Amino acid sequence: MVQQRTADRDGTQQKANHTPWLEWVASGIGLLLTLGIFGSIGWQAFDDAGAPPAIAVDVTRVVPVEGGYRVEFRARNSTGSTASQVEIEGKLAGDGAEAEIGHVVFDYIPGHSERKGGMFFTREPRQESLALRALGFADP
Amino acid sequence: MTEDNQPVETNELYAVGLARAFGGAVIFGIPLMMTMEMWSLGFSIDRLRLLLFIGVNLLVLIGLSYFAGFEKTFSWREDVMDALAAFGVGVITSAAILALFAVIALDMTWTEIIGKVALQSVPASIGAMLGRKQLGAEQDTGAEDERKREAGYAGELFPMLAGALFLAFNMAPTEEMILIAFQMTPWHGIALGVVSIALLHIFVYVLGFSGQETPPEGGTFMRTFLHFTLAGYGIALLVSLYVLWTFGRTEDTALAQVAMMTVVLAFPAALGAATARLVI
Repeated sequence: MVQQRTADRDGTQQKANHTPWLEWVASGIGLLLTLGIFGSIGWQAFDDAGAPPAIAVDVTRVVPVEGGYRVEFRARNSTGSTASQVEIEGKLAGDGAEAEIGHVVFDYIPGHSERKGGMFFTREPRQESLALRALGFADP
Repeated sequence: MTEDNQPVETNELYAVGLARAFGGAVIFGIPLMMTMEMWSLGFSIDRLRLLLFIGVNLLVLIGLSYFAGFEKTFSWREDVMDALAAFGVGVITSAAILALFAVIALDMTWTEIIGKVALQSVPASIGAMLGRKQLGAEQDTGAEDERKREAGYAGELFPMLAGALFLAFNMAPTEEMILIAFQMTPWHGIALGVVSIALLHIFVYVLGFSGQETPPEGGTFMRTFLHFTLAGYGIALLVSLYVLWTFGRTEDTALAQVAMMTVVLAFPAALGAATARLVI
């Protein structure tokens, strides 16, 4: 009986100090993720988040489609801060004819990120006659 | 043999707790994961404010682990480990579900992905903590009450803070918060403040939900009202202002507008403060 009680007490003691290895694994992964997120956000904070957006637009592809041509492009924000309501205008100048205008609005282009889009024109766009540019942005 | 009602923490039990944590993270996190504004806030929010917010979240998780814990033995190590595990569960759940919704994808820059996941992991990790603690059967309510008693007044206020933060955070990202503030007159604002305080008091002391607080002994209505209800509303206001600031809503905005937005957001925050006391 006395022995039994001693054994029990030892068991309780072990119980109190025992942490399952799974708990170590779970909190270890948690710690890694926490440090990773703190580290990367902190790095961004001190990197270049202060500079206002600068957006460049490149044409990636021109594909003939029914009723005209599809011009695919990407708009790239080369700074660290986000631009919202970015308006992209495409202008296709004709030989003597009236210019065709295309409009696209991106809700957001995050810092150091790009967004893809497309415009439709009826005439075949050629390099020298097609100009795409970002018209402006708003701070989010 | 002596009867011991404290379950031994085995790997199996911990695994079940972990599964419940994932369940809680999904349930508590899903409303914000399907909120459009949260995605853009993920990359447009000020980085230092985001860092501070995640730090505050970790402190709240540690507090929740302490107050809602099921183990009697309080140790900092246990609570910190629980908080880290809950945060990890929140991050993994957010990343998985956002990827499922195509909100994050591999062709995005890692700054965008991390911003989105980090912000979503706040509600998800609170859900993970509550899921693990509250959805489980082996909760030791005796230890919980004991802790609240030991912590005294702070033990009364902390759950209100956690609840207010959670609900305020759930509402604050939406455009509607600002819109509501813009279309309200000052009289609406005052009325909303009064209603918030009344509901906070009624929810905690009058309606008789399970876990209702009994007014402190010998306390008159006035004393309870001042010490707990008004203190709770004060917490709701501060938390609302803090969340608005974190989301950049206070930038270049007139003081009167900021006050109105704070009162609007303090309405759900007060409800959160009132009900959190019942949940935790």
